Amino acid sequence: MKTIKTLLFAATALALGTAAASAHVTLETQEAPVPSTYKAVFRVGHGCEGKPTIKIRVQIPEGVIAVKPQPKPGWTIEKVKAPYAKSYDYYGTPTSEGVKEIVWSGGSLADDEYDEFVLRAYLTGDLKPDTVLYFPVVQECPDGAAERWIEIPAAGKSADDYETPAPGVKLVPKK
Amino acid sequence: MRRTPLPASARWQPLAVLMLVLTATALLLGLGSQAHAHAALVDIQPADGAVVAHAPQGFSLSFSEPTSPLVLKLVRPDGSSTVLDRYTLRDATLDIIAPADLGTGTHVLTWRVISEDGHPVGGSSIFSIGAPSAGGLVAPQEAVDWPLRIAIWAARTLLYAGLFIGVGGVFFTSFVGGGTRPVQRTHAVLMLAGLAAVLLSVGLQGLDALDLPLGSLVAALPWKTGLATSYGLTAEIAAASLVAGLAALAVPRQIGRLLTVLAFIGIGLALSASGHASAAHPQWLTRPAVFLHAVGIAFWAGALLPLGVAFASRTSDATPMLRRFSRLIPVALLPLVAAGLLLAAIQLASPSALWTTAYGRVLLAKLVLLAALFALAALNRFRLTGPAEAGDGVAAGRLARSIRVEIILVLAIFAVAAAWRFTPPPRALAEAAARPAELHIHTEKAMAEVTVKPGHVGPVSVGIVIMTGDFGPLDAKGLTLVVSNPAAGIEPIRRTATKGADAVWRVGKLDLPLPGRWQIRLDILVSDFELVKIEDAIDIRP
Repeated sequence: MKTIKTLLFAATALALGTAAASAHVTLETQEAPVPSTYKAVFRVGHGCEGKPTIKIRVQIPEGVIAVKPQPKPGWTIEKVKAPYAKSYDYYGTPTSEGVKEIVWSGGSLADDEYDEFVLRAYLTGDLKPDTVLYFPVVQECPDGAAERWIEIPAAGKSADDYETPAPGVKLVPKK
Repeated sequence: MRRTPLPASARWQPLAVLMLVLTATALLLGLGSQAHAHAALVDIQPADGAVVAHAPQGFSLSFSEPTSPLVLKLVRPDGSSTVLDRYTLRDATLDIIAPADLGTGTHVLTWRVISEDGHPVGGSSIFSIGAPSAGGLVAPQEAVDWPLRIAIWAARTLLYAGLFIGVGGVFFTSFVGGGTRPVQRTHAVLMLAGLAAVLLSVGLQGLDALDLPLGSLVAALPWKTGLATSYGLTAEIAAASLVAGLAALAVPRQIGRLLTVLAFIGIGLALSASGHASAAHPQWLTRPAVFLHAVGIAFWAGALLPLGVAFASRTSDATPMLRRFSRLIPVALLPLVAAGLLLAAIQLASPSALWTTAYGRVLLAKLVLLAALFALAALNRFRLTGPAEAGDGVAAGRLARSIRVEIILVLAIFAVAAAWRFTPPPRALAEAAARPAELHIHTEKAMAEVTVKPGHVGPVSVGIVIMTGDFGPLDAKGLTLVVSNPAAGIEPIRRTATKGADAVWRVGKLDLPLPGRWQIRLDILVSDFELVKIEDAIDIRP
């Protein structure tokens, strides 16, 4: 039994480890039901071509409401609010405006260090299951350098076809 | 059947295998869905776009994470490529040993590496040893249709003779003198020959434009085409001038004079209506220059036959005619020479073109003949004119002989100048070489006008004008130009464009080392979170 446990642990660590080494900004949880509350963990594995990351900007896609970023020591959070394209139902309350962009700034994440930026949001029932929801992310570094994980794959293409794809989460129907 | 108890380890084996398979599957899924670890290039030596004094001993590529090379290639200035197989990996840095035999010019270091996750990444970097390759200018080699070429040349020579000696002669005789019957008959013959030549030349011009053989002259198409080219106008004016010159011989003196003036002006207008020299810029300068050059030639060449015949036959008006000619010739000669020098300077663009280009060599031949002509003219003017005017019979005879040689020289000059029809001037060659390559990309999201200047291999600058898909203004935050040549195995070369005050995005330092089809991609950063990529191919000349 111990052998299996060790094997399983090693395999999991290996699988996670490989994923964590990803150079792209990605989401930890790759699948989420709609409607539901989703904890988005943005994993930042490197800076901009060697430079440290000093700002992370996440654009909140349409249909995602009640956004709450998780405070992060050493980083200041800015919540950019704007009206939504339409009114969304949040447990019976119509919601027509809210956070459209979250900005983490003031910190410095070295190129050879790893960190996570977390927010929690409600994925409304207006989002279609069996699609991928993308959160465009801009990673800014000193001297105007930036990495923009903002490419949203066209129909029939996957994130693999792009050089700088936006992190995405696959939406599934609620069980 | 007796069952032997399995050892404990063996009992777990199927389960372990199953776990391994599951793990591997999970791993693969994990890789497919999220682990896109594209290694980013952090540093490269020599730097992209660098010009280094000496051939580097090696190249080094530093990535954001460890990689292993798939393809490492060096494209040399002559377009050949060398696989770089001597390299060492030092953490995330790839050190490549350069081939020993690197020459001067522009090189492309092109790489394709695979990072930890198995995602290949490619890129190219350009550096030059000594100086960037200028890019060879290879003139297109076309088969020459000699019968057609000789016909065009002969027609042109005849046209020059008809215009300059024929019409010029009629003008001279009606204002200065010497219009005896044999002289006018010769003028008429020359003008008729010129008229036939100019009419024929329209068809020949059409053949040349359509790239048809001489035999196709019976069809209507070459004639229509010839008239439609810029030469059509020249031919029309020249024909009108020749007809006016011929008519002047048959009408009363006063009307004849008016006709010869019109015919004389027609010479200048005809030649300035088309041709290499008139096409050169600035046209406000070149066209009047061609006009002055042409009428100057006509005055000088037109005087030769009447003067020569007058002295040969010792007519009484020979001496006063010569005196009037001597007074007038500087007025014609000065603009003629000045205009000729100006045009030559514009057309040659550089002094070395005089012997390095076909155009220059024709000019050189013409200059040699001109030198002889001027020497003869000077001899006539300063050694023979005086005694001849004073009634010296020997001098008059010499003058007549000298003028005969002058006529031969003038005809030879016409023949040489007619050869210019086939030699594009260096100015035009330079303009053709500098012609930009252009590309229009139109997609739903954005459109772009891309201008690569010059449109041939070597250092180029790129200008990009972008608009939205429905022709609206597109105020992008950034623009990256990505060029690649998949056929030649050159991986993408990236350049950040900068926006000028005129809203044109520019990339100044780019080397396109190979001719052919290059893929051009524009990454337009519309807003912080929106990137639009549009691409198409462009042809780069050798």
